[in-house]
Amino acid sequence: MTTLAPDVLAPVTPTALPARRSVRAARRAALKAASAVAVLIAAASVTFFAQLAIPGDRATIILNLQNGREQKWSSSELSPVNEKFGFDHPLLTQYLHYVGGFFKGDLGTSYTQYRPVTSVIGAQILPTLVLTVGALVVAWIFALVVTVLTVRRGRAVTGIGSSFEAFTASLPHYWVGVILLVVFAVKIPIFPVIGGDGLWGTVLPVLTLAIPLSGFLGQVTRDEFDKVLDQPFITTARARGMGDTAIRLRHALRHAVLPAITLSGWALGALISGAVIAENIYGRPGIGQVLVTAVNTRDVPTVAGIVLVVAAVYIVANLLVDLAYAAVDPRLRAS
Amino acid sequence: MTSPFPLRRTRRVVAGFAGLVLLASGLTACGAAAAEGGGTRVKGGTITYAHVQEPPCIFGGWIQQAYISRQVLDGLVTEDQDGSVKPWLATSWDVSPDGLTYTFTLKDGVKFTDGTPLDAAAVAYNFDQFENTDLNGTAKVSMEPYYKSAEAIDPTHVAIHLTQPYPQFLTLITQGYFGIESPTALKTRSKEENCEKPIGSGAFTVEKWKKGQEVIFKRNPNYTSWPSTAKHEGPAYVDEIKWKFVPDGVSRYASLTTGQSDVIYEVPTVNWKDAQSRFSNTIRYITPGKPVSFYLNTKAGVFTDKLVRQAFAYGADRKGAVEAGFHGVIPYEGNPSVSQSTPDYNEQAAKAYAYDPDKANQLLDQAGWKKNADGVRTKGGKPLTVKLVYGAGFIFTSEGATVLQALQEQWKKVGFDVKLVPATMAELWGGKYADPSTFDATPSYWTSPSPAILWIVWRPNTEKAPNGNNRSFYNNDQLSKVIQAANTQTDAAKASTLYQQAQQIIQDDAAGVGLYTQNTLIAVANDLKGFWVEKSQGEPIFSDAYFVK
Repeated sequence: MTTLAPDVLAPVTPTALPARRSVRAARRAALKAASAVAVLIAAASVTFFAQLAIPGDRATIILNLQNGREQKWSSSELSPVNEKFGFDHPLLTQYLHYVGGFFKGDLGTSYTQYRPVTSVIGAQILPTLVLTVGALVVAWIFALVVTVLTVRRGRAVTGIGSSFEAFTASLPHYWVGVILLVVFAVKIPIFPVIGGDGLWGTVLPVLTLAIPLSGFLGQVTRDEFDKVLDQPFITTARARGMGDTAIRLRHALRHAVLPAITLSGWALGALISGAVIAENIYGRPGIGQVLVTAVNTRDVPTVAGIVLVVAAVYIVANLLVDLAYAAVDPRLRAS
Repeated sequence: MTSPFPLRRTRRVVAGFAGLVLLASGLTACGAAAAEGGGTRVKGGTITYAHVQEPPCIFGGWIQQAYISRQVLDGLVTEDQDGSVKPWLATSWDVSPDGLTYTFTLKDGVKFTDGTPLDAAAVAYNFDQFENTDLNGTAKVSMEPYYKSAEAIDPTHVAIHLTQPYPQFLTLITQGYFGIESPTALKTRSKEENCEKPIGSGAFTVEKWKKGQEVIFKRNPNYTSWPSTAKHEGPAYVDEIKWKFVPDGVSRYASLTTGQSDVIYEVPTVNWKDAQSRFSNTIRYITPGKPVSFYLNTKAGVFTDKLVRQAFAYGADRKGAVEAGFHGVIPYEGNPSVSQSTPDYNEQAAKAYAYDPDKANQLLDQAGWKKNADGVRTKGGKPLTVKLVYGAGFIFTSEGATVLQALQEQWKKVGFDVKLVPATMAELWGGKYADPSTFDATPSYWTSPSPAILWIVWRPNTEKAPNGNNRSFYNNDQLSKVIQAANTQTDAAKASTLYQQAQQIIQDDAAGVGLYTQNTLIAVANDLKGFWVEKSQGEPIFSDAYFVK
């Protein structure tokens, strides 16, 4: 990244200014990091208390889960469980203990698996990230190809493009997943039905999440693309004798993708919650499944830990969005 | 796996027709012929099994855990297909004349897979843990009323002492919950290790648990302790089982028809006919114990009145709804306390309360509930509202929920305003609906190979001896006495009469309302032979299974 400023000011103070600038940048980075940590703790805290606010006693559900029942337990049966997991301490103590552990990289121990939450999540996070990031990338490719090829290409082609986007954007994940499964794993057995986390088994789950998202991204890109093509600079470019494809790719596209980039930060987080459906259909490991099970079993540390991870993904995604903005829009680099 | 397609051998044959998973229309029998007539046994191989629920641990008190722990743990005795109890780790046993002491003679030289000898002390230690710790709550509750102590007499003889004669004891310990674990492993390893890789003496050992995906079992090459009911002697034929968790029914069935799995659990009922025509080994096992039946809250609300409970039972065509909802695959069960596959089942009692809306109307009139303009009955200004809480997604599948909706419509016609309340596992198991003030009716099941389940479920719930399982809050002294007399009765014929009498009391009083049986629906690929499910709980047995060419 270059700006004009240092060149202009260079004769006056050759070294001092870049130094001051880097201090400022460092301070800004530190501030960002601190606010990120604050957001993470807030997310974990809200989850922690929200979990406790739901009706249902944790010790009861641990016993019911161990024994496959739905009964009430006597206090003599509950007290050893309460003691073991520290439920008999005041809530504030439990909370402080939890947050204290957070700074030591300890997210607590799962009530049901008896394993540290970090290892519960650690084993499952990679397949989910592969799935969600893969889906985001594929959705972008679909959206861009459809937009570039169909905007302002005559009424029929434009209509096909926008109908395709409206249709895919409205599809429920489960439906897409089952149809893909039946068509591409059963009727035409190209892909495995239960593929685990292998590369080949990842294709259909990725498409399951990518197809509805591509319609969504395509719709916002299309609107912007359409508007940009009316801008004076496009006319200028055309007047310079630039070809239509070059105009679309080099000038219009840059402007048109900005809203979709903004959406991508949100989409990555939303995909993690949608991942559970793809994971269910294709018998794929991942954090979505773990989250559903943990919510069902009132496994507070696991739920809070996963929310923490999802919050972290949001933060990183938004950071990437900021960087992507700067890369796409030169106006932002100067400021 | 080297190839991205875990397709194997001849099973490609059936793959092309698998598109029927959504349509479930009839089809020509195509796959079945391919493997009929035996074929030659292939050495080794990996069985891929698609199951539904992933349990928190490999063993425990939930039926899902009994299924999976059976692969690694052996029991003292096992139940044969005719209901008799047969030797396993115990080659024989003696019951003392007073019925209070069971002395088991153990098979000699059996070792756990960690090398610890499986001797009398190990068995005694396990029983002591069942009773006194949280090792297995269902094992505990099954023997608790009469269990006293376990004693290792010498390395091959272990005595279990009871407080009263309890002939059902032998049948109850055939369940997977009573799998014997290595005491060394239990004492020296962490809870986490024992949860993930319990050490038994079984045909397989846990190799790896990929959470959210599968448990990989490896063959135990030194297996010596197969049950007397096994189909062959010696270690398992196959090298490995991949026990996969595939919650989605469409995928599970598709995995079998495309040859990517060899055995699937819970075949969707919509695919059952198709499965029967394609696969030569399909198993419909009706689980004994308490069927899926409604508990009616007899302590608070509208069902405190027996007439209203009876009207509720008469008021809807439960049989028709079950048959329609499950495509005729899952049987209706009119007996609310035990299912038709349970010993000493009262067939007569099951016939009570056949659909009779006139009778229902008459009983409600008699109880003083008057029909309003909108069709809902009221009494003293209060509407006849029934809050029906059900476990959505884990006790009731979407098919089961359809049955409830059909019933709701019919109950409406006789004047019940039934509110269906779907409850999540967190809510139901977390105790949100434990209190009598929170619901009027709730359906659930409890599997058991013995009518002694009556005591576990219907034992009175008192201050001194709470019984959270009695979800009807139904305290009946006479019932309690009859069940206890049945449990301790050493004359089998007399015990049977008493158990049937207990079922009659529950049915007459309409303390519960029957619905359908709990089942295991399994389909097996045609090139896998020798797979079976055991009798007590329908636990899948892979140690006798082998592939053919």
